[in-house]
Amino acid sequence: MEVPAIIQTIQDSGLAEWMRTSVKAMPIVEALHVLAAATVFGTIFVVDLRLLGLPNTKRPFTRVSDEMLWLTWSAFALAVVAGGLMFAANAVTYYGNTEFRLKMVALVCAGINMAIFQGITYRSVARWDSGVPTPLAARVAGALSITIWVAVICLARWIGFTKGYNFDVPQDIELDFKF
Amino acid sequence: MAAFAEWLQATPVSVTIQSVKWIVPLLQAIHILTIGIVFVSSVMIALRVLGKMRADEPFAVVWGRFAPWLWGGIVVMLVSGLTLVVGEPIREFNSLSFWIKMALVVVGVLSTGVMGRTLRPAGTTVGTEFSPGAKTSAIALIVLWIFIIFLGRAIAYDTEVWGSWSLHPPT
Repeated sequence: MEVPAIIQTIQDSGLAEWMRTSVKAMPIVEALHVLAAATVFGTIFVVDLRLLGLPNTKRPFTRVSDEMLWLTWSAFALAVVAGGLMFAANAVTYYGNTEFRLKMVALVCAGINMAIFQGITYRSVARWDSGVPTPLAARVAGALSITIWVAVICLARWIGFTKGYNFDVPQDIELDFKF
Repeated sequence: MAAFAEWLQATPVSVTIQSVKWIVPLLQAIHILTIGIVFVSSVMIALRVLGKMRADEPFAVVWGRFAPWLWGGIVVMLVSGLTLVVGEPIREFNSLSFWIKMALVVVGVLSTGVMGRTLRPAGTTVGTEFSPGAKTSAIALIVLWIFIIFLGRAIAYDTEVWGSWSLHPPT
């Protein structure tokens, strides 16, 4: 696996070294990441349910999104910072981990889904903001968003179980795993 | 307690949870997704108590919107959490964070129940201003959930977090 120099540089940085050696840093950063990620999902879930017309279309979509998305973005920023610190500590390992790469792809998909919604579907919001069923494009965006974010979190958890283990065992060697 | 944990870890259910590769990650993912639902529902209710969100709706309506998800989420978390414990009882029972977390979960669940009981009847009209006590309690509950989230992560770091207070058997 070719590791770009930048990945190695990140792993060799002082900040990364601090993350690896400080006893309390990693658990705190990880907990912040869980809190932030859970909040991102929870808030997006409320907005996505409203896009799906659930629990009802009484409350205007624009109000629901105003109420939730400030928290979504704040939590996302925290998740990125915490995630960046965790990544830095073991950049080479994460870079080579399939589940990590898939998670990054999923995040990009979430962004594309959001951009399409904001750029196209949202333009007509005045027509479907409240009291009427949401248009198909809005429902698709909501359903896709929920699916993608569930996938992000499942992949993220899977990273913890696979990082550092994606190597091929040499043919004639017996590995003895003691956990 | 230790003997019970050892017995439990050797049962077929526990061994299955430990050995089927995808069970623990899936349970943890479900646990984290429902943290999102429970935490955000609780935050929304707290923000309403503080008058900062959906102030145009009576508290009872906001409670009605988010409380079912909060309670449903708590049930899912108890089931997924219990299954995770059954899968690794020794690790959990040897973690001080785990026991503190369980105690705080009981406090959180009871507090949520009390909040619903006391505030919902009082908050049936728009414009009800809640007492400083109610507002403080709402914030305290959010802080409690955050502590619980941190303790959940700390289960895996018992000696790093608690030092000599850790319940890990001395090596």
